[in-house]
Amino acid sequence: MAKKKMHPLLQLAISILLIVTLVVLTLSIFRYPDRLGPIAVTTLVITLASFLTLLILRHFLLIWFSYLQQRELAQGEPLEAYPFLSIVVPAYNEAEVIQASLGSLLELRYPYYEIIAVDDGSTDGTYEKMRAFEGNHYGVQVQVFRKENSGKADALNYGIRRSRAPIVVCMDADSRLTPDALRYAVKHFKDPHVGAVAGNVKVINRHNIWTKLQALEYIEGLNIVRKAQAYFRTVNVIPGPIGIFRRRAIEGTGGYDSDTFAEDFDMTVKMLADGWKIHYEPKAIAYTEAPEELLDVIKQRYRWSRGILQALRKQKHLLTRTSGTVTTPLSLWYMIFEGLIWPGMNIFANVFFIYIALMFGMTKLLVMWWLLLTVLDVLIAVHAILMEGEDMRLALYSIFYRFFYILLIDVTKVFATLEELVGLDMQWGKLARKGRI
Amino acid sequence: MRFDWINILTTVIFVSIVVTLVLAVASYFAYKVREARRPKTAAELRQEGEMKAFFSQYQPPK
Repeated sequence: MAKKKMHPLLQLAISILLIVTLVVLTLSIFRYPDRLGPIAVTTLVITLASFLTLLILRHFLLIWFSYLQQRELAQGEPLEAYPFLSIVVPAYNEAEVIQASLGSLLELRYPYYEIIAVDDGSTDGTYEKMRAFEGNHYGVQVQVFRKENSGKADALNYGIRRSRAPIVVCMDADSRLTPDALRYAVKHFKDPHVGAVAGNVKVINRHNIWTKLQALEYIEGLNIVRKAQAYFRTVNVIPGPIGIFRRRAIEGTGGYDSDTFAEDFDMTVKMLADGWKIHYEPKAIAYTEAPEELLDVIKQRYRWSRGILQALRKQKHLLTRTSGTVTTPLSLWYMIFEGLIWPGMNIFANVFFIYIALMFGMTKLLVMWWLLLTVLDVLIAVHAILMEGEDMRLALYSIFYRFFYILLIDVTKVFATLEELVGLDMQWGKLARKGRI
Repeated sequence: MRFDWINILTTVIFVSIVVTLVLAVASYFAYKVREARRPKTAAELRQEGEMKAFFSQYQPPK
């Protein structure tokens, strides 16, 4: 029997209640500081000092380990023989982009691969556009399947079951792979303990402030983290737009699960739990279409945040696991820190520094704090842009990055966390495509 | 005339953080309103067993 859904207006009312409670709580803390007591004040100061220390430490560790990983990658040798690959492309209402996506797959400089395109019950003509690619294209077999709509995870499993290769590439239908992406990615499978390789996702539509900030975020915020994690072979999110998997590893996990809204993170955690190493290849590039309007950015991040929390809740037993490698629990704790603790602390730190500047006239402290974080962000942005050979003009956006963009995203993350804890219903929230790829 | 850079920067930082926080809360609220007003997709209706909302079964006259 279908679970009775909450009425959207009731959901909205609960969300408003959460927002109001949070705002009132924050204001009440700062309205009556004398009521807090010395212990609470000391705790606040220690928390904020820890936040700043962790932030600085995090930036330097990311720069250091990503540099070490970059150096290690430069010393790698090319493969002598390339394995057969299956590329699985699930699509639901992707008529605007599916042809560009499948077209890019036929231009890959890879000797031996097949393409499995799965239409997940689209209603916009996606299947008809896919059918145009069906057949043999100079040795590349393209198979197109259509099934009833049951979600991305199920569509991926459907495609994987129909694939034949020992290495399976899972990608999003709104992504475009660069011609050499897979040649670079598969070399990591020389190590038999590597179960998957995460690719490098970049934003293709960089024509307004939101997409440019997201482009910077992918380079500075996501890819550099993956590169640093790859030094320890424990990348904790294999991104949806490009993930390369060893079939044995993916089958060992039982495939993708449909019970979270972040099936890519869920799959990564399951693989780490099974003891597989997960690598990252910066030259395995997939371009993706980023949301172009603020509300769509919020919609996407809301889904990511709740999906990650759902996957973490599902795998919470791993947080305290004592058997196996220590890197899996560490990796999950890092996700909790980044997804749950960090956004709340960031918002609180902003409000706190403004408050002490206004109430106690400590304006220099506010400016120093702002300068410190901005310099850190510019440094890491320049480092990341140089390593990826990206457009240096993006570094200019790092000035607005933490105090505008990240703050916006963090507010969404905090509300998404609260709603997940309260247990509000949610839908997948499909973004409308603009056909930019 | 000598500029007081600290005060100017403080004002800029203060305004930008406050505006961003207000914008963030307002846009999150706007997002929730948009989602609440969005018509349900066929897949969602099917999931909730409410597909009949779009179609009423034809009953031939007796």
